[in-house]
Amino acid sequence: MRTTSAKLRQTIMRLSLFLTRLAVIGCLVFAALGKPQDPSAAPRSAQPDLRKVRTADWTAEPIREINLDGLKKILQRDGKDTRPLLVNFWATWCDPCREEFPDLVKLDNDYKDKGLNFVAISLDDISDIKSVVPKFLTEMKATMPVVLLNVNDPEPAIKVVDATWDGQLPATFLYDKDGKVVFRHFGRINADELRAAINRQVGGKP
Amino acid sequence: MKKQYAVFLLIASLVIIALAAVAGSGSSFDIPAPPVVGTVIDDFKLPDADGSEHSLKALMGKKGAVIIFVATKCPVSNAYNDRMEKLAEDYKAKGINVIGINANNTEPSAEVKSHAAEKGLKFTILKDDGNKIADRLGATRTPEAYVLDTSLKLVYHGRIDNSQKTEGVTSNDLRDALDELLAGKAITKTGGAAFGCTIKRVS
Repeated sequence: MRTTSAKLRQTIMRLSLFLTRLAVIGCLVFAALGKPQDPSAAPRSAQPDLRKVRTADWTAEPIREINLDGLKKILQRDGKDTRPLLVNFWATWCDPCREEFPDLVKLDNDYKDKGLNFVAISLDDISDIKSVVPKFLTEMKATMPVVLLNVNDPEPAIKVVDATWDGQLPATFLYDKDGKVVFRHFGRINADELRAAINRQVGGKP
Repeated sequence: MKKQYAVFLLIASLVIIALAAVAGSGSSFDIPAPPVVGTVIDDFKLPDADGSEHSLKALMGKKGAVIIFVATKCPVSNAYNDRMEKLAEDYKAKGINVIGINANNTEPSAEVKSHAAEKGLKFTILKDDGNKIADRLGATRTPEAYVLDTSLKLVYHGRIDNSQKTEGVTSNDLRDALDELLAGKAITKTGGAAFGCTIKRVS
């Protein structure tokens, strides 16, 4: 009797697991296909092109420092810019940030010509903008645009990025062409997961 | 009985489906949402770095407690060592005890102990192996503070202050909340965000 009951329970469990998985897949497919316009998407304003070509020698040209307004401009983008935007918040003092950086550099190389806009936002101390930060980026052979966010109170900056974020680093966000967050990850990224999310936005693999 | 079980599973599946639909994509599933301010926290037991178990209730001060998730290697948490110790000393006298919790699976008890000795952290630091309490409190980063009143009701959840550098501090959010709690007032600002290190959870 007990065995039958256990078997039945197992079957129900499997069935419900299957249903859940099916539902999750369904939701993802739904999310990937026709996404309704989000009225709360950030408005846009003029913004210099983030995708400025630069060499991997970060000591040659100063890294741009931005404040809260600069951050808002990056997130709002140019009205004509319909590329999805990947934003990674990091710092040289953050171990998982350093660990995931090679993945981000590779991802940038793979997707920069496939319609992905990418900016890595450093939260290093402003006193490190000419030393530790460019040294690390040069070592990483990074070519994505990098800015350093310098704010005395981080809260408004964190909340302008994403309401669910409390400031833990690293943090990675992918915005669709309408400026809506379609992927977020806190802590070290899973490169495959992020690539899958980007593929859904740029329409296909690189 | 079996039928009830099946119904329960069906409902559970539906709830998960609804959650998936709301969450859309991304990985916000990983960490449970923190309890909202006003929630009463269940008492819990954790060992300190020497292995002695303590319950939250036993560690509470007469007027309340502050739980702070801390780290040994996180530069942000380390930037707050002196401020956390000073906070613990200042408020212990007033009846509020500071309780540290290290939930990083990359930082073993022995390291927590030597780090505390080296940095002069005298308040109790508990070791949350398997990050059960970090999950229960929805803690994501270090340092991250939770203020509880004597009934274990959460009255503040967030940052210590606005700046990693002491000279940049203009908003003493945690101290302000503690002063209001001691004065028997409602907490004006019940939280705040700041950059911090992600808690290294077991995978």
